[in-house]
Amino acid sequence: MAIAALVTWLITAVLGFTMLGIWIAKGALRAADSTATVPTRLAPPLVFGHFLLAATGLILWIVYVITDTEVLVWIAFALLVVIAILGDVMFLRWWRSRRDPTPEARLPVAVVYGHGLLAVTTIILVLLVGLGVGGE
Amino acid sequence: MEGMRRAKRPVSIMAGPYGHPFHPILVTVPIGAWVASLVFDVASRLVEDERSLVVGSRWLIAIGVLGAAAAAMMGFLDLFGIPIGTLAFRTGLLHMGLNLTVTVAYLVNFLLRRSEASVPVGLVVLSAVSLAVLAVSGYLGGKLAFRYGVRVADEDAQADGYRITASGKE
Repeated sequence: MAIAALVTWLITAVLGFTMLGIWIAKGALRAADSTATVPTRLAPPLVFGHFLLAATGLILWIVYVITDTEVLVWIAFALLVVIAILGDVMFLRWWRSRRDPTPEARLPVAVVYGHGLLAVTTIILVLLVGLGVGGE
Repeated sequence: MEGMRRAKRPVSIMAGPYGHPFHPILVTVPIGAWVASLVFDVASRLVEDERSLVVGSRWLIAIGVLGAAAAAMMGFLDLFGIPIGTLAFRTGLLHMGLNLTVTVAYLVNFLLRRSEASVPVGLVVLSAVSLAVLAVSGYLGGKLAFRYGVRVADEDAQADGYRITASGKE
C-alpha cells in the first residue's frame, strides 16, 4: 500500500512538474508582472507553494518507505490535505482562465485531470496506510 | 536583457528575497555532511574501534541526502527564473542533472550500508567519486552565480554597498 502510494505520488509529481514547465515556458513569469497585458490567474506563490509542499511530502514519504517511521504517515497526510486545497484553488482558477490567452490555458487538459485524479488516489492510499488498511 | 534581470529576481519569495537566495546556504548542508562522511569512512579504516565512525558516516550521508533534497527544491525555483534556451539555462540543467545524480548515488550508498558492519571499499570509492562529481557541479553553480549573476542583485543594488558612510566622511 505504501509503495502503491509512492508510485501514484511519483507519477502525480511528474505530471505536475510537466505542467509547471509548460506554464513557465509559455511566459507565466512575465504574465505574473503587474504590467503584463494578459495576466496569469495562477499567482506564483500559489503555484510554487503547492510545488514545494508536494515535493516535501514526497520526500517524507520516501523516508517513511525506507525507515517505516509511523508518525511520518500522518505528517504526509496533513501536508497532502494542504497541498490538495492549494491544488483545488489552482484548478478553479485554471478553469476560469481557459477562455483567455493565459499561459495556463495552454496546459493539456488530459494532464490537468490526470494529475488531479492521481493526486486524489495518492491521498486515499496514504489515508489507508495511516488507518492500517491493506496490511504489509 | 530582460531575461537576465528576471534571473536575478526570485520567482517567489519562497526562494529567498532579492539578493538573498536560499539555495546557496542550503547546499552547505549536503556538502559539509558528505565531506565529513568520507572523512569518517577513511578514519574508520585507520582506528581500532571503528563502529561509531561507521554509524556516524551513514548518518551523515542521510543528513546530506535530506539537505540536498531541500537545496534541490530551492534550486528548481531559481532554475525556473532563467529564460529557456540560454547558455545560463543549459548550465543550470547540467548543474541540476549532476546534483540529482550525486544525490541518488548517495541514497543508494546509504541503502547498501548495514548499520555497524565496516564500510566496504567499493562504497568508500563511490563516496569519493560522488564528491568529485559534486565538485564539478559546484563549479557550474559558481559559474551561474558569479559569472552569469543568477539570483545576484543588479549593479545598482550592489553600488549601495560602496557609498561612503557618514562615519567614513569624518
